[in-house]
Amino acid sequence: MAGIEDLGVGIGWRPEIDLTVERLPGVDFVEVVAENLHIGHLPESVALLLERGVPVLPHAVSLSLGGADEVDLHRVEHLGAVAEAVGAPMVSDHVCFVRAGGLDSGHLMPVPRTRDALDVLVANVKLAQANLPVPLALENVAALLEWPDGELSEGQFLAELVERTDCWLLVDVANLYANARNIGTDPERFLDEIPLERLAYVHVAGGEQHGDIYHDTHAHAVLPEVLEVLDELCSRVSPPGVLLERDDNYPSDAEIEAELAAIRAVVDKHRG
Amino acid sequence: MNENEVLAARERLAARQAELLNALLANGPAPAGFDEQRLAVERRALLSKRRGIVRMLGPAVADELGERFRPLFDAYAVEHPRRAGSRAREDAASFAEWCRAAGELSAKRKARWKFWQSN
Repeated sequence: MAGIEDLGVGIGWRPEIDLTVERLPGVDFVEVVAENLHIGHLPESVALLLERGVPVLPHAVSLSLGGADEVDLHRVEHLGAVAEAVGAPMVSDHVCFVRAGGLDSGHLMPVPRTRDALDVLVANVKLAQANLPVPLALENVAALLEWPDGELSEGQFLAELVERTDCWLLVDVANLYANARNIGTDPERFLDEIPLERLAYVHVAGGEQHGDIYHDTHAHAVLPEVLEVLDELCSRVSPPGVLLERDDNYPSDAEIEAELAAIRAVVDKHRG
Repeated sequence: MNENEVLAARERLAARQAELLNALLANGPAPAGFDEQRLAVERRALLSKRRGIVRMLGPAVADELGERFRPLFDAYAVEHPRRAGSRAREDAASFAEWCRAAGELSAKRKARWKFWQSN
């Protein structure tokens, strides 16, 4: 199967920066958080971007596909409905679990890299795919802790996930950097192990170092080290798209524009 | 992979994930094999994210509590881990209620009659 269409450079659309996203030059596509959208009541700004022909990709955060429970089809249905409402070519969520034992972590928790966890994830992803109108891409998360008995590396885990479900990958290079800092993942090995021909697009985000821990905050500037991971990725494959995520502590338009330009410079460097 | 195998894997995984979240969100015992320091880091990160969301959703409550907001929220949070299926707004409302019940917040003001309304 051919790769997905060329998306270019984009930014996560958020209500707090809707006008910024509309007026920034060089926004080729956007993502919206699927859970925050209501069918039939699309934000005016999202409707405007759609009118301009800017692709809008729904990104979900609550499917808990790596959770032990069977995936909640109401959540999948909502994600699919958002995809249809914005005419999206693809949707995404994460390789993580959010809920367990009746509790909600409020966050994207890493799954153990065991056969059990992979089998459950595969079953949930297949069920989600069967109920979605468009292809599903899955993203690597940032972990602050490591499950004790991993049987596979993160790259192997994702490679097998793709092989068994035919899903796409959304590679977050900031999460890759965070995992290198916090749990010793080797980004190069990760990139060697994943099937790059199934790369849907890439996420870039900012964060902050606190003592010996790097926090993937999406509320600080993008570190040069994160762009180096993007550079490493681009040296292996030309990504169909790269998207900047900023969720809080919003900077000036000029700063966002500069971050988008820095991302584009890395991508273009390898396109020659 | 047959369905029974997946079901068995789901059960084993459910126990492990529940044990981890119980340790991180509800002061449960640390699951075997995890680095205790990292569990503490993760616990703080999750708490801080939840606190930030509640502050954002209920700025008036946070303002009234001032410096007490953080310690009070942290005490509330471990007593009331978020239930699966609950919403962040419910969390913010339930924290405010908890503070009122503890006498930390003034009683909820009733909507006042507008002066132009006859009573």
